[in-house]
Amino acid sequence: MRVSSPPSYQWTALFVLLSAFCTLFTPAVSVKYENFKTCDQAGFCKRNRAYADEAAATSSWKAPFALAPDTLSWKNGQLKGTILKTINTIGETEKRQKGEIELRHNSKVRKERYNEVESWAIVGGLGLSRNAAESRDAEKTTVTYGPDGKFEAVITFAPFGIDFKRDSATQIKFNDRGLINIEQWRPKIDRGVPEKKEGEEETPVPEVPAGEDESTWWDESFGGQTDSKPKGPESVSLDITFPGYEHVFGIPEHAGPLSLRETRGGTGAHTDPYRLYNADVFEYIMDSSMTLYGAIPFMQAQKKDSTVGVFWMNAAETWIDIIKEKEAHNPLSLGIGSKTDTKTHWFSESGLIDVFVFLGPTPKDVTKAYGELTGYTQLPQEFAIAYHQCRWNYNSDEDVKDVDRKMSKHQIPYDVIWLDIEYTDEKKYFTWDPLTFTNPIGMLEQLDKSDRKLVAIIDPHIKNTDNYPVVSELKSKDLAVHNKDGNIYEGWCWPGSSHWIDCFNPAAIKWWIGLFKYSAFTSLPNLFIWNDMNEPSVFNGPETTMPKDNIHHDNWEHRDVHNLNGLTFVNATYQAMLERKKGEIRRPFVLTRSFYAGSQRMGAMWTGDNQANWDHLAAGFPMIINNGISGFPFAGADVGGFFGNPEKDLLTRWYQAGAFYPFFRGHAHIDTRRREPYLAGEPYTGIITQALRLRYALLPAWYTAFHEASVNGTPILRPHYFVYPSDESAFAIDDQFFVGSTGLLAKPVVTEGATSVDIYIPDSEVYYDYFDFEKYQGQGHKTVQAPLEKIPLLMQGGHIIPRKDRPRRSSGLMKWDPYTLVVVLGNEGTASGKLYVDDGETFDYQTGAFIHRSFNFKNGVLASSNLGTKGKLTDKYIKTMKNVGVERVVIVGAPKEWASKASVKVGGAEAGIEFHAEEGGKAAWAVVKNPKVAIGEDWKIEF
Amino acid sequence: MRQIDALVLIGTLSTSILAAESSRPRGVGPEYAKFYKSTDSFTCISNPSIKLSPSQINDDYCDCPDGSDEPGTSACTYISTLSPPQPLNAATSKNASLALPGFYCKNKGHTPSYIPHTYVNDGVCDYEICCDGSDEWAGVGSTKCEDKCKEIGKEWRKLDEIRQKSARAALQKKAQLVKEAAALRAGVQSNIGKLQAEIQVQEAKAAELKRVYEEVERRERGKVVKSAGKGSKVTVLAGLAKARVEELRNALTGIVTKRDTLKERVAKLETILATFKEERNPNFNDEGVKRAVQAWEDYAANKGAEADDSAEDRDIESISKPDSESEGINWAEWETEDEESDVEAHLVYKFEEYLPAPVRTWVHQRLTDLRILLIENGILADNANSGSESKAVSDARSAYQTVNDEVGTKQASLGELEADLTKDYGTDDIFRALKDTCVSKDSGEYEYELCWLGGTKQKSKKGGGNTGMGNFVRFDKIYVDEEVGADGKGLGQGERTVLMYENGQHCWNGPNRQTTVVLACAETDEIWKVQEQEKCMYRMDVGTPTVCEKEVRSQGDKASKDEL
Repeated sequence: MRVSSPPSYQWTALFVLLSAFCTLFTPAVSVKYENFKTCDQAGFCKRNRAYADEAAATSSWKAPFALAPDTLSWKNGQLKGTILKTINTIGETEKRQKGEIELRHNSKVRKERYNEVESWAIVGGLGLSRNAAESRDAEKTTVTYGPDGKFEAVITFAPFGIDFKRDSATQIKFNDRGLINIEQWRPKIDRGVPEKKEGEEETPVPEVPAGEDESTWWDESFGGQTDSKPKGPESVSLDITFPGYEHVFGIPEHAGPLSLRETRGGTGAHTDPYRLYNADVFEYIMDSSMTLYGAIPFMQAQKKDSTVGVFWMNAAETWIDIIKEKEAHNPLSLGIGSKTDTKTHWFSESGLIDVFVFLGPTPKDVTKAYGELTGYTQLPQEFAIAYHQCRWNYNSDEDVKDVDRKMSKHQIPYDVIWLDIEYTDEKKYFTWDPLTFTNPIGMLEQLDKSDRKLVAIIDPHIKNTDNYPVVSELKSKDLAVHNKDGNIYEGWCWPGSSHWIDCFNPAAIKWWIGLFKYSAFTSLPNLFIWNDMNEPSVFNGPETTMPKDNIHHDNWEHRDVHNLNGLTFVNATYQAMLERKKGEIRRPFVLTRSFYAGSQRMGAMWTGDNQANWDHLAAGFPMIINNGISGFPFAGADVGGFFGNPEKDLLTRWYQAGAFYPFFRGHAHIDTRRREPYLAGEPYTGIITQALRLRYALLPAWYTAFHEASVNGTPILRPHYFVYPSDESAFAIDDQFFVGSTGLLAKPVVTEGATSVDIYIPDSEVYYDYFDFEKYQGQGHKTVQAPLEKIPLLMQGGHIIPRKDRPRRSSGLMKWDPYTLVVVLGNEGTASGKLYVDDGETFDYQTGAFIHRSFNFKNGVLASSNLGTKGKLTDKYIKTMKNVGVERVVIVGAPKEWASKASVKVGGAEAGIEFHAEEGGKAAWAVVKNPKVAIGEDWKIEF
Repeated sequence: MRQIDALVLIGTLSTSILAAESSRPRGVGPEYAKFYKSTDSFTCISNPSIKLSPSQINDDYCDCPDGSDEPGTSACTYISTLSPPQPLNAATSKNASLALPGFYCKNKGHTPSYIPHTYVNDGVCDYEICCDGSDEWAGVGSTKCEDKCKEIGKEWRKLDEIRQKSARAALQKKAQLVKEAAALRAGVQSNIGKLQAEIQVQEAKAAELKRVYEEVERRERGKVVKSAGKGSKVTVLAGLAKARVEELRNALTGIVTKRDTLKERVAKLETILATFKEERNPNFNDEGVKRAVQAWEDYAANKGAEADDSAEDRDIESISKPDSESEGINWAEWETEDEESDVEAHLVYKFEEYLPAPVRTWVHQRLTDLRILLIENGILADNANSGSESKAVSDARSAYQTVNDEVGTKQASLGELEADLTKDYGTDDIFRALKDTCVSKDSGEYEYELCWLGGTKQKSKKGGGNTGMGNFVRFDKIYVDEEVGADGKGLGQGERTVLMYENGQHCWNGPNRQTTVVLACAETDEIWKVQEQEKCMYRMDVGTPTVCEKEVRSQGDKASKDEL
């Protein structure tokens, strides 16, 4: 076990487990969903739940795990020790790490527990704290660490447990309920009933020790497929309690509310634990703890003024039970002082207990520390945050060109058109269908004329067929995933019989990189990649994925690495797209469906195959927000809904919502009717175009938010709790959000027929309707009118929002356009905001080619000052941007004294100002015309 | 020539306007020059109350709510109903209409045109509209667009020459087709006349023959029918019965063979479906597949209830065996002339009574059943009541019937021709000339075929047969807004004639296929483009001289102006 706690104030505890033993019961639960396992159908889930039940039912329950004090050593911020477990007679000493065990079925897999998640998920934040100190007594040892030594970990020896404290108050407890469990290796004792032969005596069968149910220890079958489990039972589990915390968020990906529900009884509780086992779940159901395509085992707990978190670094199948217990300390206080503890119970099928603890105290502290550990989100190419037009499928290069022309003709901006699997020659990736995509270069060139891009899909299944050099190399170089017998694994996916590239293998990554060179894959630099089906999806596999006893590089079992699989594939593609031609280094854009902690470094994700109905529209934001606070904010849902045909009002509302997805893509299933925005007809096409142009106008603000996420891990869509961690009544809100640090508060309509929404205003600041400056003020719910053409969008006073108002064909063609700055005055009459700009495609920003400005309005002066530090390329970049200026400054909530003002001072010059008085509920505003200031330079405008 | 969206070509410019050119601000077209003449002030074109200083023209800041102060920049492009509403353009956003049609590219050496202001100074040389590159006058991001009007204009004129020639040829072809259609129509009309005359003659002949037949029949009715020979009736009947039984037996054997073939095919289909169910990809979310699998499962479940028909099979088998002394009917017994047995004629019809009792019962039952079955299925004629009549009568009747049938046939042909004459063959009856001719096109993985007023079909190059994409049902009109390529191919903009082809092959998990064939003028019949607009709903863009009109060009220009 290892416990650590970034940032830099961290220490780690490495505990070795020598022996363990467990007892089990078998509860009976009914099967719920046909294709995917319920907890009861997953042996280790059932066992660990039963273990928890037994512990709860036993009043004198004591976890049979104890730390041996004499093994403890403290050195340079690292605590090492051995945890011992009293074992009964049949338990065997854990010899796994030494490899002194025998595996079943002559398996060649590694004998030790999988310990390489770190090499994929972690990129930093592991430096040990020099300030940490340890003090020990007979029962416990205490480690103090963190800023000003405010953090403390109290480790009790017997039973083993850790209390994490901040400012002397316990925030997180390990093994509070004594559910820690590590199933030790054991040999299988054959108790099978041999076939009785006539006339023979019945052979005596060794008896199952009392209290143990071995039924799920060995071979497990599901859906007619059997997992051979060469290592037998090997699950790990731990209970983690958040005392006083009523809400927990995170552990995506699940379709459900941001604030996680209970899973063992209670109002609205799920029946199963939250499951993390990446799978291709089609037509997924709403509000469920069922697993989906990706897994980030990172959970945050929130109470008034405190946020803490844990990251359970394990890539095997994982389930998390959640219980919330209310306790009133004083029955007479009528709820005052009553508090709710959230108790969680984590169990993984194999691997190690490796937990990172984040003690906050703010949401930003937690997400920043998590980002330091697993990496911040990639600073994407700017086109990637514009609008993507996708469909399964655009049928030919002519079809693509036709859509491209029609978008231009209807003056609808878009940046990227996408190709699903049909563009290939019979699903052979890196090929083009010779009949329908006869001229891919011509197609890419036409797109490039308006600085538009193409994204083509490349999946990890490689068609098993003759005359396909990719598969023959995959086989001859032995770079594919193997089955349990050590042969190349064969399964079914889109191409029919297929093999799967094993991206855990460095040689496979190297080979994959070569496949993307222009010489190998006919294309141009404006082609980018979509990685789908990387859970991996295997049509004829158990739970539509790979058998757990498949074998990856270095003889690790698929069981151990399953949730990492998607990440490793995207990683290979990311590496390949970095430099397709020598010297042409570009930020890759890769969309992935499957992900793990760390995937945010490599691209965007989307929520998979949703449906064209209002429930799925509504489900999008909680899922995207949850992903965002879990370190992976570059997220979106398919606009319009993948399956089915959306009614026009649904499609229109979905575009209005999509304009606020960090990843904004319209997509549709092959059996649906065509639904490019220009096909909807009026008034829908016009309204959709307005939503798209709103996104484009606000791209400078979005890009700035992405930049912020890329340097400190803050989410792009910020839920209420994240911005107002003191406002405990509203922690569960997940259908409205702020966009980055812009003060834009949006609540897109996600219900049918709505003509207004109630937006919760969290403070006494003034808010203005984005479109007409209608004022809203005072904490609480405010009704904002929302007829079909309107997006409920407010601007919080005190912010300055950068915009580009001139509509162009694509974001790339807006590069040289001037900015509009919207200064939204707050109660104090001040406002501030930020802008980050760079070339949007290369890594030159890393050597200074960027503009990072801070805008402040105070005492009648609007000033732009530099936030960046100078690098090698800074001057050159600023020079290329010297003609890009601010064309107007709009001041919302302008003081009425300005009515008589005709001009303002801009340095030594003047610019005109026009004042519009307050009208009805609509705020006064003023506009400074053409101040002629450059965006990359310092300037002042005096009012 | 219209190449891309929102492009307007000004065909003719008066020299007087050209004279004012030099003084016009950047981007102003000659027809708007008058608004920019004053050197003291500028008045927004649609908002005369707003007066600006001339320095505010093209200063890259939008002052006029109609955008007229920025003819040469993109500053006013945010004023649009397609942009998010905001107080800045509140006055205009409700009915935002910009005063100017676009940025005027002079295109010296070619034809002047307007390019959308959103394309101005965006870093792209839009030579299709602005061959002189003047839309990128600011050179943003070091964009340089050299003037290419000379070469583009030359190329255009060359192509235009071809297009003009082609258009003239198309019109000639059309005239030719109209002529052909008229000739065909005349041919039909003359055929109708001919048929009508023939029918008249035949009808008279039929009337005469009918009279003759009735006369003969009347005469014959008086004769008494005498039996042919003493004691021969039973044997004759036995002979007939034997023949009949033989006939029935053959029919039965035939049916059994057919049934067995069908059984085999059902079994084969069941195997296919069972395999399909096993091998299908459950993740491929296809409602049609799901339904098919469900239906198959239901079917398979009910199949167990099917009766075992082996007993029936044995019966049929024994019936099918040839009669002999030991089995079935011993016809020999009956065929032998028995002088003594002068049996009453009616008894013959009860010949079964003479059969051995067990045989009799099943023969009767089987024969009756079989006969009923065969009659019901239209295999045997129900001629039980056809009595015998004399040769004279039957000859007369047959003569009459033959002629009468001929009249019927001719009347049917006449009906067809008359219907054809009233059928819609389009304006000028022109498609009459193309009827039963087809054009085809190689497009991607399919070859498509269009038969004029016939059917449309697709043939996959990856194997498989033809798929019917619909049969012609009617003419229609639709409004289109498409490009016309440099080669003159493309639907262009405006109302176009459409041939609707419906009720094609049913689409698995979809509707019956249908094709909307949209026609535009071209010199030769050609399928330009085939799109599957929605699942199994196709659109063919087709060039043909049949829809050519004079003055195509000016129509196009007018349409483009409306666009802006």
